[in-house]
Amino acid sequence: MDGSLLDQTQHERLALVDVNNFYVSCERVFDPSLRGRPVVVLSNNDGCVVSRSQEAKDLGIKTGQPWFKLEPFAPRWGLVARSSNYELYGDLSSRVMEVLGRHGLWQEVYSIDESFVGVAGTPDELLQLARRIRQDVLRYVGVPVCVGVAPTKTQAKLANHIAKARAELEGVCSFDSLAEADLWRLQERLPVTGLWGVGRKSGEKLVAEGIETIADLRRADAAKVRKRHSVVLERTVRELNGVNCLPPTAEKADRAQVMYSRSFSSPVSTLAELDEVMNLYTQRAAARLSAQGMLAKVLTVSAGTSRFSGEASFPSRSVALPEPTADPVLLTRYAVSALRSVVVPGTPYVRAGVMLSGLGRDLDHGGREQLELFSLDGGEDAVPDGAGPGSGAAPARAADLSGLLASVKGRFGHAAIGLGRGGFAEEPEWSMKREFRSKRFTTEWDELPIAKA
Amino acid sequence: MPGADRFDAASRAGEGGAGTGTPEQAHGFPSPAQDYFHGGLDLNRLLVRDRASTFLMRVEGNGMAAAGISAGDEILVDRALTPQDRSVVVAILDGELTVRRWHVRPGTVVLATDDGAHVTRVGEDTDLVLWGVVTRSLHRV
Repeated sequence: MDGSLLDQTQHERLALVDVNNFYVSCERVFDPSLRGRPVVVLSNNDGCVVSRSQEAKDLGIKTGQPWFKLEPFAPRWGLVARSSNYELYGDLSSRVMEVLGRHGLWQEVYSIDESFVGVAGTPDELLQLARRIRQDVLRYVGVPVCVGVAPTKTQAKLANHIAKARAELEGVCSFDSLAEADLWRLQERLPVTGLWGVGRKSGEKLVAEGIETIADLRRADAAKVRKRHSVVLERTVRELNGVNCLPPTAEKADRAQVMYSRSFSSPVSTLAELDEVMNLYTQRAAARLSAQGMLAKVLTVSAGTSRFSGEASFPSRSVALPEPTADPVLLTRYAVSALRSVVVPGTPYVRAGVMLSGLGRDLDHGGREQLELFSLDGGEDAVPDGAGPGSGAAPARAADLSGLLASVKGRFGHAAIGLGRGGFAEEPEWSMKREFRSKRFTTEWDELPIAKA
Repeated sequence: MPGADRFDAASRAGEGGAGTGTPEQAHGFPSPAQDYFHGGLDLNRLLVRDRASTFLMRVEGNGMAAAGISAGDEILVDRALTPQDRSVVVAILDGELTVRRWHVRPGTVVLATDDGAHVTRVGEDTDLVLWGVVTRSLHRV
């Protein structure tokens, strides 16, 4: 995008859009009784709090608090808990991303609930656009978002933070509509430790050097910061001063899902053959996923009979993964058992597919990518601090996977990859404790929301 | 394993064929229909105006049976549409999702089932209760 094509008064900017309390907001779309009440969503196996409504935050409930400690107080507080319902979150996430993509020159999905969007216009137009984005997502999908608009990613993150923190802004903050003096005043008040791109350790180190606020860091000498800290932090200083150092990935990629679906040359009708198909397709989908540096939370398998042979059938099933992953072994295991649960042996299937959705960035992977990009050791700050619920845990480390992937690829030619089928646990996902899970309103026919007439 | 090779070949032959709905023919004569067949009728194209804002619900109760919406039917609800007078909508009443007809009255909106059993006059802040506009009923006959 050539800046010279734009009118003098037009600016190219980045909008960072994220959903407020994403998981709780998703729960509220189909369960109006949760509105206005303190609600928390729990991690897998109902362990601890991963998402809180504003009312729950006001009660002093913290992310990561174990549920067994909160449970005794729940009746007194009117506190409602929900188990993670990743089928629902994944579906609503893809809808949010779709709506955001329609407003942008380009889009970079950053996690399950946040996305950078390229925007352009005069300061007034940018503010109007940010408000329209907020209105549209609320109207189309039913979840509230905050929008931060600024010249760089780091500033857009900051603008988004300001939009959230100051109620009078009504969820929208555009740097071009703020007076420079006001912006400085805001940055004087915000601690440097909360800034995107500042890790815990380097935050402590900065504070020890007397760089306590975001304004302090903005005034810091970038070259000195690089020498004393890292190239990553130097970039942050430059970004705070409006110099774009984290360019968007060029494509307007729809990374909301990865799909691998094919027709067969001749029909397949035995479970053993379908298992082999799932083996192959899932590993290809997993390879695409890790090539994008992403982890998936939801896996959907499908099969189809011929449309020419009487009654065509298209069985499919979505399963929530126990944790975000790109692990081909784990994904294959789920794909095989999910497909087995919906197909009818003896039926001639002519196509099958695997879809991975509910995608979030694999932070370890991303960190390494950036190191290569900047070819200098970034120290402990190389992995930018994640935000949003999707980035909390990145359990399947890319390093562990790469060896596995290599060996899988080495054996790819024969035996549809040697991942054993015999030892698969039956439906491992359903054995997970999800005692308070709401219905999978948007992905299961027998769990549709009920409307009374 | 011979099976693996077959799938591998199949997936190569199928490259680009995904979504056309035509099973790839590895052998024999090409189908005379292949240039004409671009997938069967897709109900999504007929029923879903915008997939980002369209949701499915299942109906409980027969208060809207006169409108062709009976207990057990699925309805398509589009959140992005603005209801007009006499639109059928999903609205939140007493913390529940309900199907009602949207009657525009001077200065207000009245939400009612077609059988007249439930009638609710809405105050100024109607946005708070509207969930979406019902566009279709998948009625069982």
